Amino acid sequence: MRERKPREPVPAPDAARPELERLATDMVGDRADAWDLAGELPRDLLRELGGKGLLTAQVPARYGGPGLSSVAGGELTAHVGSLCSSLRSVMTSQGMAAWTVERFGDEEQKAAYLGALTSGQLAGVAFSEPGAGSDLAAMATTIRREGDTVVVDGRKVWVTVGAYADLLVVFGRYGTGAAAVVVPADAPGVGLERVADPLGCRAAGHAGIRLEGVRLPADSLLGGAGLPIDWLVTSALTYGRISVAWGCVGILRACLRAACRHAATREQFGAVLAEHQLVARHLAELHVAQEAATRCCEHVSRCWDEGSPELVTAAVTAKHLAAGQAARGAARAVQVMASAGAGDGGPVARAYRDAKLMEIIEGSNEISQLLLGKHALAVWS
Amino acid sequence: MTTHTGQAETARSIRENLTEFLQGRTRTDVAPDVDLFATGLVTSLFAMELLVHVERTFVVRVAGPDLTLDNFRTVNRMTELVLRLRGGTDA
Repeated sequence: MRERKPREPVPAPDAARPELERLATDMVGDRADAWDLAGELPRDLLRELGGKGLLTAQVPARYGGPGLSSVAGGELTAHVGSLCSSLRSVMTSQGMAAWTVERFGDEEQKAAYLGALTSGQLAGVAFSEPGAGSDLAAMATTIRREGDTVVVDGRKVWVTVGAYADLLVVFGRYGTGAAAVVVPADAPGVGLERVADPLGCRAAGHAGIRLEGVRLPADSLLGGAGLPIDWLVTSALTYGRISVAWGCVGILRACLRAACRHAATREQFGAVLAEHQLVARHLAELHVAQEAATRCCEHVSRCWDEGSPELVTAAVTAKHLAAGQAARGAARAVQVMASAGAGDGGPVARAYRDAKLMEIIEGSNEISQLLLGKHALAVWS
Repeated sequence: MTTHTGQAETARSIRENLTEFLQGRTRTDVAPDVDLFATGLVTSLFAMELLVHVERTFVVRVAGPDLTLDNFRTVNRMTELVLRLRGGTDA
């Protein structure tokens, strides 16, 4: 029963994007600063946004999602990222969970889990462990079959959305390979501890998760069980990298908006800041950073929509470029704003902290460089 | 590439396509029975590229129990996989 072709040609429902952007603008309003300072997003708001499709923009309509293309979903992600990186980070996690189910799940699993994720339930994806960060092959979490059940044991750290999640997509060792399993957050044996005061995306609900003899029906196990760990996670991470990269575009846009407005009005030495050449240079470089990151993201999203194999490397490239540009761009924006931007919780202060985390998650700068170095050698040597 | 010009002809063109794709990405001539994982030709990123390439080029979906290392181990194995999945699709 092969149900369908791999990925439909670029979907039409991209027309839904402006409405989803308006929804995000209205729902975030002027509250992003307060959410950051409190380290908490309102759960009701997340559920409402989830039920309206904002958190699963690329899930196809037959599973209840808006079915946006990657290009349109990416622009939506950038828009949300320009308002609130914590909310954008929730979008990335929920989207990554949904994509993992869509990629590896059978038809029943897709109907059940994607139905839940498009109607208000929230999901996180658990990769990292105390002893397995960049080195995911060192994962110690185990998933094993026992009759018609699977049993999950292990510890996960820094699970984005962990504190809000109804469902957790957990990766672990499975026989000689690896597997992904969908764990209800309220299953017996699941324990949560909130990460106190993360540096960035403070309201994204990062949590550590303990899994102690968590027994689930065997159909909680997604397909591809037994594949090498890097095969399994590369698929989820590719989605995550594209989403993070677009989120960084959003950070750069927020920085441009704040820095340019400030530089156009604040006067020092008898002239607005923008007329001081050293300040103008910061604005110019921010502009270039935003353009470059956007073009790079558009490219990888087109690769995704067309099903081009180039997308895997292009996702690492886009994430690496956009995260670096966002980190440097946010530092510039703080520099231009100076004391006006130094209040914690404000847009450029958040950008400065959030962007730094983007250089770490979904493959640190250094891991991205290792992957891209290998790729460069394969293509150019 | 019609499905009824003979299985052998179809298999040959699938093999050629895969060999060409692998050659382009690894700059190595890959014999159809070479173990791609044992030789280290296929890295984690490239493994996924290979999967995406197979799905797009041959309009198949590799899911569930078909997602195994063995199905991707050699050009011949991938060719068998594609032929099998296409049989399913055409039915």
